[in-house]
Amino acid sequence: MAFQTRRKYCFFKENNITIVDYKDVKLLKRFTNDNGKIMPRRVTGTSAKMHRKVVGAIKRARTIGLMPFVDNGSE
Amino acid sequence: MRYYELIYIVNSNVERKKVDEVMKDIAGRLESTGSKIINHTVWGKKKLAYPIKGNTYGTYILIHYSGGDNEKLSEFDSWLKLSGLTIRHMIVKLDKEPEVVESFSETDSDVESGKKKPEEDKDKKSDNKKIEKKESEDKTKKEKTDKEDKETE
Repeated sequence: MAFQTRRKYCFFKENNITIVDYKDVKLLKRFTNDNGKIMPRRVTGTSAKMHRKVVGAIKRARTIGLMPFVDNGSE
Repeated sequence: MRYYELIYIVNSNVERKKVDEVMKDIAGRLESTGSKIINHTVWGKKKLAYPIKGNTYGTYILIHYSGGDNEKLSEFDSWLKLSGLTIRHMIVKLDKEPEVVESFSETDSDVESGKKKPEEDKDKKSDNKKIEKKESEDKTKKEKTDKEDKETE
């Protein structure tokens, strides 16, 4: 079986997004796994600069109840 | 001038009148610190990602304002926490001056993120295709293995 090797690339550079808003949950959910954990940079391929912004935004979204700290599917 | 964004959650089971009262109360208190309110809009009722103070749903309200007296603002922050008017609130400093928005609803945000949408859809579609491919591959594999099993029998 042939694996398709896809080059990882920064999502924000591809889409020309410079500002990450904590209210944009749809965007931020791309960077968390099913349990609500923030995925590492080596998995998402995000640039270091934007990853820092994403992490900050996710943590803000968590404090205001827009995103889960832990999502174990109990709800 | 510093610009801030205050987001707070109000109990969604409360009547609209009471929400308006809370909004008035908070706006009045905020203006007494010498701040100028730029936007004060209801974002909408949303499901909370986790229960906060026994609530699973909440009405999100946003205020954009330019900061006044710093000491009074920190006082306002602690007052908001102690007042019990809100389920939770958060104040965030903004980098730029916020635009004046008439209403901040879901449709508006969709329009703003409309540029991203088609690309996301494409990604999703391609993902789905990949999944389908994988599934079909799996099926063919299974069929093969089944045939092999039959042959061995």
